[in-house]
Amino acid sequence: MSDTQWPRYEVFKQDNPQKPHEAVGSVHAPDAELALQNGRDVFVRRPSAVSLWVVKASNIFTMTREELEATPDFWPKVSKAAGTPTTFHLFTKTSQRRSMTFVRHAGQIEAVTPELALRDAIENGRFDADNVWVWWVVADEFIHRSQADDIDSLFAPAVDKTYRQQSHYGFVSPRRQKHGREKLDADERR
Amino acid sequence: MNQAIQQILTQKLLALADDELILAHRNSEWIGHAPILEEDIALANIAQDELGHANLWFELHQTLTGDDPDELAFFREAAQFRNVQFVELPRGDWAFTMLRQYLFDAYELLLLDQLQYGRYQPLAQACAKVRNEEIYHLRHTSSWIKRLGLGTEESNRRTQAALDELWPYAQQLFVPLPGESILVDEKIVPNLGRLHESWLERVRPFLTAAHLTIPSNQTPPTNNRSNHTHHLTTLLADMQKVARLNREAVW
Repeated sequence: MSDTQWPRYEVFKQDNPQKPHEAVGSVHAPDAELALQNGRDVFVRRPSAVSLWVVKASNIFTMTREELEATPDFWPKVSKAAGTPTTFHLFTKTSQRRSMTFVRHAGQIEAVTPELALRDAIENGRFDADNVWVWWVVADEFIHRSQADDIDSLFAPAVDKTYRQQSHYGFVSPRRQKHGREKLDADERR
Repeated sequence: MNQAIQQILTQKLLALADDELILAHRNSEWIGHAPILEEDIALANIAQDELGHANLWFELHQTLTGDDPDELAFFREAAQFRNVQFVELPRGDWAFTMLRQYLFDAYELLLLDQLQYGRYQPLAQACAKVRNEEIYHLRHTSSWIKRLGLGTEESNRRTQAALDELWPYAQQLFVPLPGESILVDEKIVPNLGRLHESWLERVRPFLTAAHLTIPSNQTPPTNNRSNHTHHLTTLLADMQKVARLNREAVW
């Protein structure tokens, strides 16, 4: 039987205009527009956001530090590519903590292929390559973005929702019994 | 507000609330059963939004009558509900559910566009707040209808069958309550006849572009919101079951 699963899209969320887009997870969708809508429903129905990007997973060139080290002949192969440069976006993961770490948008670079964009990113010093564990490279044309005038309908309703935080559910934890609800809510707002 | 206006306004609010409550429940029946996980979540979101809208109308109704929203939702019999039959029909297949939600969203967004400038401030303010959600619902259901209509032979056939069944029922949304013209004269609610025209101007070309044929029968099965199909009784038996197990239970 053939695979009837829809393709996977990675979802990038921007919490506020000062922060970079972060990869928060993935959704399945038949196309980019529905991926954007599914990403909204799965990841930002309650959390704050100002922008959402989706990229089909197969359009992301990924490389980990381990993979690079295990492939010594990678760079000589890469250097043979030629053509017209286009814009690539670089996303990096710079922490190995187990939770709340994301592949973050780090900037953009002009290159002929994603491999050359990566090499440039590692060699040119702009991206603090020594502290990067995971690289994602995406051509600009593959990013499907929410628009500025989508903010009201995609993200604004979240502000008025109840149960935005786990603490709003009616469980009485030992921590809450000890500290009281007000302090916990204040901690989360911070 | 004089008594005649208040009386018809409470009836109108109850009708608005019941439409959203029953539709939300029908959509919630898909939870755990939708064709794919992401859509399960999307439709649950929409259902929850509509339930939130129902709650807003019930609360406005409560300020005029003192009636407790939970009491109205869980302890009325089918004959006391004032929703249109359109929303109580069983959920059918995915095409049926998406098409019903699309037709309703197109209606509700146009309604909210008008209601938010109405002269009854509490109602106008509530509308302005929920309008953003409705823009998103319509975007989502429009995306689906386009894809179902233009997708495969099967998806088109199923969506067309849903349209053939739902089209006459949808027209009942535009039948005013007896005496509703008082509210229109007072500029509290829009004229449903004009709203109907705007709705047709919007949904007809959209459905046609999705390779769907608009049915010729445009007569709703009933004009009276007290008349219901037997489907509402079954729906209520399910929806009200837990609340009725113990009236005094605290949630």
